[in-house]
Amino acid sequence: MIEDSEYGVDSRYKSVKERESDATALMEARLIRMKNLSKDQIIRSKLLQLKLKMEEYLKNPVYDNRNYFSEFLALYVDTIYAKRSVFAKDIDIAPVSLSQVINNHREPKDDFILRLIIHSEMVFKNVCEFHNKTWYQVYFQEKICGTMSSQEKWRPEIEKHVRLSKSIKD
Amino acid sequence: MKILDTSTGKEYPIEILPVESEDFNLLGKGRYFFDWRIERNQEVYKLQISGSSDILGLVSMERIPNEWRIHIRLLTVSKENKGNGKKYDKITGNLITHVAKIAVLQFGELACVSLKPKSQIAQHYIDKYNMNVTGMSLSIEVPEILDLINLYDHD
Repeated sequence: MIEDSEYGVDSRYKSVKERESDATALMEARLIRMKNLSKDQIIRSKLLQLKLKMEEYLKNPVYDNRNYFSEFLALYVDTIYAKRSVFAKDIDIAPVSLSQVINNHREPKDDFILRLIIHSEMVFKNVCEFHNKTWYQVYFQEKICGTMSSQEKWRPEIEKHVRLSKSIKD
Repeated sequence: MKILDTSTGKEYPIEILPVESEDFNLLGKGRYFFDWRIERNQEVYKLQISGSSDILGLVSMERIPNEWRIHIRLLTVSKENKGNGKKYDKITGNLITHVAKIAVLQFGELACVSLKPKSQIAQHYIDKYNMNVTGMSLSIEVPEILDLINLYDHD
């Protein structure tokens, strides 16, 4: 039987009654299991969720003005630390600088991102595979999407400074 | 994510993509055991070796946000990948992992993937994927769901 076990599964519910009864039993059992989750297991889940969110953003970029880098950074820090200032200390930056990056009052410097990369390597090492280029990719993806989605703001002024002195024929 | 060629031991990178409407014409019982055209209005994914358009496995699923759960409705491998003589291994594991990743992405630490196999094969899923049993349903949640993702989701 095992030989054929993986050809397929048909799990479609046959009736509303079956579906509701399964849902109730499953939820009761899960709530008991959820109560037994350790803090460490919850943190690991949240970090994996964060990684998947970042990958999803890189796969399907959103052309809007949201600050994805800082949103992901805030999620990262708040998942691991009770106080953001402790993270700032761990990567040797002033808490106010971290706060400014998270609140979009300043751009992260190269040094900041590099320290974040090394910190993430340490954190994700025992959680899941996490490419160290991910933070940079998110940062630049956001720049590209933000620039492209706000052309009506910057284009009129920038266009004044650009001309084509040599014509290119079709 | 990768599947394993059982005859050579070579691994091949795969991609799991949403099934497109024209794909359904090819998804009959002959090669895929179920009539997948019935699933046309569901969320259905196909597994292919990267760069190939040949569909080696399929899964359809239902998101149930108010229960932080995704239910696998239907899952199959293609005919030549069934049983001891299968060409590729790890197709089912990769399909379940794909659904697990969507569940963790959406629900975080509350994520759950459920399915309801026939009782004869349930034990196989319990043993191989470390699933929990509740009545006739099987499910995988944190922490086992994290182990499953880590086992299958790597380059």
